[in-house]
Amino acid sequence: MDHLGAAMIAFGLALGGGAIGAAVGDGLAGSATIQGVARQPEARSQLQGIMFIIIGLVEGMYFINLAFGALFVFSLANK
Amino acid sequence: MRILTDEQAPVTHPTIDLGCGNWCTLNYDSLISSGIAIVVTILVAVLIARSMSSAVPNRPQALAEWLFSYVQTTSRENAPDAGFVVPLAATIGLYILVANYLDVFPITLIPNVHPANTDVNQTAAMAAVVFIVLHWYSIRLRGWRGYLHHYTRPYELPIPARAFFVILNIIEEIVKPVTLAFRLFGNLLAGLLMIFVITLLLGHLPYVGSWLVGPAALAVWKLFDVLFIGLIQAFIFMLLTMVYFGLAREGFEAEHAH
Repeated sequence: MDHLGAAMIAFGLALGGGAIGAAVGDGLAGSATIQGVARQPEARSQLQGIMFIIIGLVEGMYFINLAFGALFVFSLANK
Repeated sequence: MRILTDEQAPVTHPTIDLGCGNWCTLNYDSLISSGIAIVVTILVAVLIARSMSSAVPNRPQALAEWLFSYVQTTSRENAPDAGFVVPLAATIGLYILVANYLDVFPITLIPNVHPANTDVNQTAAMAAVVFIVLHWYSIRLRGWRGYLHHYTRPYELPIPARAFFVILNIIEEIVKPVTLAFRLFGNLLAGLLMIFVITLLLGHLPYVGSWLVGPAALAVWKLFDVLFIGLIQAFIFMLLTMVYFGLAREGFEAEHAH
């Protein structure tokens, strides 16, 4: 197998694994926010802001993954 | 469709070699786009400052004041004695926001120009500034001895365990600016890649498909990517800058109380 094909497979695996983690993290943040809003409806706007920050942080890991993967694949493809 | 598909493959940057090895190259596309972003940021700030009035605040002024007071309160909560964090964090936040929002316009149509934050050198430079100021603040706060001693946290463990924790603490300090840089870069690059993939796919749709679906898909993705992710990432970069300053002085009062 050539290097580019191997890099593509690795990229796919990394994306899939990263997506699992990001999805679990997003789900946890969302469920905690729903619980918070159900408990204290008046804190809704505050909780939403915090939820979006957490989601941004969680997805940051996934996007770091994606950027590195794309970097490797593109740099191999451009060789 | 030709105009929209003209976005070139991202990731590669046109470079000028200054003739002194691998670390001496200029990515002039990033220079152009960050130059545009800097000019727009300064213009926006000057225009808002000019139109300020204490009687009836207009909408941009209210937004700017809200942003500034948010930065001020958050930075006071985290690091009460570091007043210089407020302009630093507010400038970084406003600049990243403007640089991200400029992606609404198809600036990639200019040959070889990419959005400013899709170059890792750009985000790494901002993270490096935060890193240097952070450690300067930490040294000024605790003195050299206290600064080095701070790396042997947690203090209540026996000496061998603390020697092990030194490594972990150093890794933690290095990881901070690296994740700061790569989080912003990765998000923006993923957005750019997605635009590239959409245009690639739609170039192969037959006849009407490209004309109807292409611009619509691009518009939807650009709106989501730029307006939502761009805002959140700018906000996170700004917030983390302030939080790191809070972490740097964590436990300072408790250590120096006795």
